[in-house]
Amino acid sequence: MGDTEPELHASQTEEVEQQSPSTTSSVSISSSPSLSLPSSPSSGLYPHQPTSLTPSPTESDSPAAPSTALDVISEGLSEVTLVIDPEVAKKACQEVLQKVKLLKGDSEGSGGFDGGSTMDHTLANGTVHTSATAVGSGEIINARKIHEEEDSEALTPGSVKSARRRQRHNPSKQSWLLRLFESKLFDVSMAISYLHNSKEPGVQAYIGNRLFSFRHEEVDFYLPQLLNMYIHMDEDVGDAIKPYVVHRCRQSISFSLQCAWLLGAYSSDMHISTQRHSRGTKLRKLIFSDELKPAGGRARQPLTLTPFCPQTATAPALHGHGLGGEHGLSPSKRTHQRSKSDATVSISLSSNLKRTASNPKVESSQDEDLSSSSENLECECHACKIGTPVRLTPQREFIKSLMGIGKRLATLPTKEQKTQRLISELSLLNHKLPARVWLPTAAFDHHVVRVPHTQAVVLNSKDKAPYLIYVEVLECEDFETSSVPVRISETRIRSTRSVENLPDCGITADQRAGSFSTVPNYDEDNEAWSVDDIGELQVEHPELHTNSCDNISQFSVDSITSLDSKEPIFIAAGDIRRRLSEQLAHPPTTFRRDPEDPSAVALKEPWQEKVQRIREGSPYGHIPTWRLLSVIVKCGDDLRQELLASQVLQQLQIIWEQERVPIWIKPYKILVISSDSGMIEPIVNAVSIHQVKKQSQMPLLDYFLQEHGSYTTEAFLTAQRNFVQSCAGYCLICYLLQVKDRHNGNILLDADGHIIHIDFGFILSSSPRNLGFETSAFKLTSEFVDVMGGLGGDMFNYYKMLMLQGLIAARKHMDKVIQIVEIMQQGSQLPCFHGSSTIRSLKERFHMSLTEEQLQVLVEQMVDGSMRSLTTKLYDGFQYLTNGIM
Amino acid sequence: MKVNLEYLETKLESLDGDELKIKDNINSLFHHCVQALTEEHQIKVVNALQTLCALFRGVHQKNKSASGFDIINMLMGFDKAELRMKDLMESMDSLLCGDGSESLKALCLKLLLCLVTVTDNISQNTILEYVMINSIFEAILQILSDVSSRGQHGYDAVVLLALLVNYRKYESVNPYIVKLSIVDDEPTLDGMGMVVGQALTEYNRQYKGKEEDNQGGFFSTLTSMVGSMFIADAEEKLSVQTNEAILLALYEAVHLNRNFITVLAQSHPEIDIPTTPTTPVPTTPTTPLGTTPPSTDMMNSSELPLDPNLQTSNLLITFLKYSSIVMQDTKDEHRLNSARLCLIILTCIAEDQYADAFLHDDNMNFRVNLHRMPMRHRKKAAEKNVPSRPLVCAVLDLMVEFIVTHMMKDFPMDLYMRCVQVIHKLICYQKKCRIRLHYTWRELWSALINLLKFLLSNETVLLAKHNIFHLALLVVNLFNMFITYGDTFLPTSNSYDELYYEIVRMHQVFDNLYCMVLRVSTNAGQWKEPASKVTHSLVNVRAIVNHFNPKIESYAAVNHISQLSEDQVLEVVRSNYDTLTLKLQDGLDQFERYSEQPKEAAFFKELVRSISLNVRKNVSLNTLSQDVLLKEFSTIS
Repeated sequence: MGDTEPELHASQTEEVEQQSPSTTSSVSISSSPSLSLPSSPSSGLYPHQPTSLTPSPTESDSPAAPSTALDVISEGLSEVTLVIDPEVAKKACQEVLQKVKLLKGDSEGSGGFDGGSTMDHTLANGTVHTSATAVGSGEIINARKIHEEEDSEALTPGSVKSARRRQRHNPSKQSWLLRLFESKLFDVSMAISYLHNSKEPGVQAYIGNRLFSFRHEEVDFYLPQLLNMYIHMDEDVGDAIKPYVVHRCRQSISFSLQCAWLLGAYSSDMHISTQRHSRGTKLRKLIFSDELKPAGGRARQPLTLTPFCPQTATAPALHGHGLGGEHGLSPSKRTHQRSKSDATVSISLSSNLKRTASNPKVESSQDEDLSSSSENLECECHACKIGTPVRLTPQREFIKSLMGIGKRLATLPTKEQKTQRLISELSLLNHKLPARVWLPTAAFDHHVVRVPHTQAVVLNSKDKAPYLIYVEVLECEDFETSSVPVRISETRIRSTRSVENLPDCGITADQRAGSFSTVPNYDEDNEAWSVDDIGELQVEHPELHTNSCDNISQFSVDSITSLDSKEPIFIAAGDIRRRLSEQLAHPPTTFRRDPEDPSAVALKEPWQEKVQRIREGSPYGHIPTWRLLSVIVKCGDDLRQELLASQVLQQLQIIWEQERVPIWIKPYKILVISSDSGMIEPIVNAVSIHQVKKQSQMPLLDYFLQEHGSYTTEAFLTAQRNFVQSCAGYCLICYLLQVKDRHNGNILLDADGHIIHIDFGFILSSSPRNLGFETSAFKLTSEFVDVMGGLGGDMFNYYKMLMLQGLIAARKHMDKVIQIVEIMQQGSQLPCFHGSSTIRSLKERFHMSLTEEQLQVLVEQMVDGSMRSLTTKLYDGFQYLTNGIM
Repeated sequence: MKVNLEYLETKLESLDGDELKIKDNINSLFHHCVQALTEEHQIKVVNALQTLCALFRGVHQKNKSASGFDIINMLMGFDKAELRMKDLMESMDSLLCGDGSESLKALCLKLLLCLVTVTDNISQNTILEYVMINSIFEAILQILSDVSSRGQHGYDAVVLLALLVNYRKYESVNPYIVKLSIVDDEPTLDGMGMVVGQALTEYNRQYKGKEEDNQGGFFSTLTSMVGSMFIADAEEKLSVQTNEAILLALYEAVHLNRNFITVLAQSHPEIDIPTTPTTPVPTTPTTPLGTTPPSTDMMNSSELPLDPNLQTSNLLITFLKYSSIVMQDTKDEHRLNSARLCLIILTCIAEDQYADAFLHDDNMNFRVNLHRMPMRHRKKAAEKNVPSRPLVCAVLDLMVEFIVTHMMKDFPMDLYMRCVQVIHKLICYQKKCRIRLHYTWRELWSALINLLKFLLSNETVLLAKHNIFHLALLVVNLFNMFITYGDTFLPTSNSYDELYYEIVRMHQVFDNLYCMVLRVSTNAGQWKEPASKVTHSLVNVRAIVNHFNPKIESYAAVNHISQLSEDQVLEVVRSNYDTLTLKLQDGLDQFERYSEQPKEAAFFKELVRSISLNVRKNVSLNTLSQDVLLKEFSTIS
């Protein structure tokens, strides 16, 4: 960054002068000779302010410049990356800080530095009053300097930096806040916090710029918060956030889509009339209009992009795409020509599609072209091959078709029909794959190549139709640039499968080598499938039974027991019967198939086995980069609360890890697509306690013993410890977040003995049907206690100890947790924010005022209360009656 | 100017031997027609197509006995034939693939169908040699791959393809066979599957309607009222008639194209999505050109879509249901042929590894309501609650159903052979892949034993016509599969006990069979050899019977029970396995792979002939309604 700084300013100035005289004034200041100005740091700041009235128009200009640029963006006419000049922002920020300093005095500035929260208040109070003050020119220079320093000294330790600065500046007048901002301690969490709490545009703008310096993953965690602020907070916060978002959108397709989806989801609570014109909707449209393309080679240097260069940069791009109304038309034409697929349910719908594609306004209504979407997907695949990649479309269509399936499934009455329908729909979807599409819940870059449709299952739900699909993907370097894999026909598997599937009943390698079916044809030639599988069947059989029968290739049944001299081979009927019962006697590691609960069997199968099995059956299975992913598609469910809970869980997980509390929890990835749809990353190797109980028909402890071994075995003890550690974690979470609806269908048990809570549909202020059930702090049944070794046991004490440690650790970092929730409350109609006391109650549950001893008492009380609680039991009974969940 | 087809045709027919004179006229007429096909004016094209149709028909009609070359000479002249036909096929191709009027495409297909079916024996139609050289295969595929054109012309295209594939199938290299076998474009294959599926579904639906009519009752009167609104009288009659052409197409696709197998399992959810507003209902009232296509709009308007109780179906399920209807009654020749073709298709499916894989896929469960023949000793309508099972269960059910219902004087030996072979192939797959199917094997066992019983009791009658030993051998070997390899594919250990129970219970059948085959094999004669094979195959069954019977008797004696219960017998069986030794027989799980030639060649020749006749009849039936088509164009232009 430091290296490019001078250069970019040069270019900036150039372009400014060339293209836009209107904004020259504002930019020229930042690109003024200040760069080389050896300004004297000793020159007092305060005295300068009143005197340097000349630059004051500049100051008023500076917000104007970005805002005009913003308008340009929102209208989607040109491309803008950097809207706010970092210098201007920095300057403004620092000015404000100085003001604060002066007003509040040194005493306040010097105290309570590390906490952050106290600083917070200082700032908030200070800025409100001083924001309107004019600024001195010396400030600019100073800010400039500091900025330069920071850039060039990015690698030097903070202490050196501050020490030096202290030399130059008057220590008493040093901006503590700025120092905090520039210190190593300043992380994304703090940035978000200040962004949220500060009412001062300067600070906000500064932080907006500062976002660029954080690692992408770090910021991504707070993306929902950022976007929610963008949508629901005032103009200044929005302006501060936008450049960063736009910049990232330009870089990444998946980020673009994620933003657009989140923007849509979080805008949905606004009133319909305001929603249409809100910033969130505008940005969403902008992203979907696909104008945020990487602008050539400059994409890597976001700061070099001035608001003006896009005009030149995008001009060719726009030509390639057609302008305005035409923009959408070209893909739609292509669709029609290439609509070979059966996925088109109807012609009228595909003409709908045409309209949709040509009219960007309809884009926001997703449901319109659901059924024809998969076709579009195909078209885009073609488009990609042709070489005019439409960046976002394939993925959007992919997601849309998945959602469309969910919508249609919901109309079917029985699980069986849903399952059948799901399988058939997915098999059609398969025709369009591979394509440049991916699962957003995955951790690595990949292309989806196939959906093994017969493996998909419909999940248990009363009126919605969530379903779980497995997706075969090929890992790749970068899904945007790597080429999409070539389609391999489904029937290609056959030759390979028939050999691999051979049961290993005593067949040795030599024997197999003897048979002329050589091991799988993984080679690419098309002859592979022409290997005659039945031929193999016929020829291989004698090989299999060389031990027991004569090895003559007889191709007709006629020759059996012919009267030749071969001596007959005898077998005992008892052996056959014994083999049969032995092979069937395997312990019930699998669940029985239940048409009413198809997911139980699918989820019980160990993940590795499933991967292996599907890999063998897949035409793509031989490719080394082949991976299997799974995803739950939810349609008709609002996952925003889930996302919020998941974020809190992640945060707590980090906190506990940091504080070395051995609590185990498993946050799972949530993808919010709209306010009523989304995707969830399934937890592998886990089934719900309901399913465990229903299938095994035994208490949980007995199930543990069956699965892991007797009390003293290593396996059982490990599983028990896992159970305790996870139980402690989730009990705390249930308490802190007030997670309700805790029936056994919502609690999973994984293969290692961990419990995992899912479905955070009722948290904080919301509870199901408000029946007043579940008044206890969390769910702790006697069965759970039994698994932990009973009351008073070591493990039970360990459990309580973990709870206490966990609570203390969480309390220490309460702000990080509260912040996540608090920001999301903004403008939200989610039931979990119902009422006015949500945040206050949440804070209270951290019990900041209690001593550790008092906390221990509290934990004891909660555990006791939960165990004695009849309501938990009642609630399970209630669930059993209404939903059939045990 | 309008073509008077009837006149042209009859005129050509009535012309007498003055060939040379007419030849020139016909040649030039043909030439002009071919030229007119490239005209922009659509009426001209229509007229040309119709004239050509009439020419082909008339000239053939006139010279029934003449050789193909004479006919070509008569139509186009030898020297120009190649060029003319090339032009003709090229313009047809561009008409079929172009964006032109749908009615024109329909007419093109009609002309092609007309051309293909002018002779009774398609292989004697020498003009088709030119159709072989100038392939329109791609055009047919394109029609099938496109959703809208498939809806309108799919049926004709599929029938045309099925017929073309059968042109000199065994004598020469037919490019259509070659091309069809390598198609791997999924939308196209799928399209083909959908056309076939729709035709079969339509048949099933009509049959069901009829069945309900016969049963009477309020509901049926209601449906017939509704039905009569849509089903024309002509089609009412046809509904009894099987659709061999479409079945032949299915056979060729399954037999020739390995990729088509995937289509069988391909479900078509869109069938039950309301498509009424989507298919652009053609303004012409003459949509059903060619043969008797199941008009799609009829399906749309009827009760089919929007029914939430409708099961998601696939081609295989539809086919199984269709087969169950067709197999019910094999008395008349057509239905016998259809049933045979159904079984042949099933044979091909059972041999295919991929098809077997999805037949046995535990995750793909379906309810298949097969049609069962109403029989006096059986309760009807208990079938509504068929559980959802892997598809192979439906296939086995169908086979069992066939075995049970066709033990009659006029014994369909050939069908029985195929039926037992299908079962055998499926069991071989299960054994090989160790698939333990949860199927009530007992029904199959008792059906097979009853079959043996029937063969025994009608030995003399049957032996006059059939080699019953071959069938008996297959049946006994099925039992041998269960006895010796039961451990690899039976679902429970109890089922193995039940197998023994069933054999012991019905031991008399096996005893009698043994006596009979022993008797025949000791006598010299044509059945000596096959009978002795059955003798040897019975070795294990006899060992079981001889082993357990004394045990059971002594058990009864010891416990003073006259009649042992099933559980008691099973108990005896369980406790006496260890003293029983069986002989391992070779090749139980090997089978003869299906091959069309030479065994089935004659059947297919006959079948194609009958289909040709039928198609020709239906094409001519529709010729009369061409006026309407002309009107359409005249109003447009």
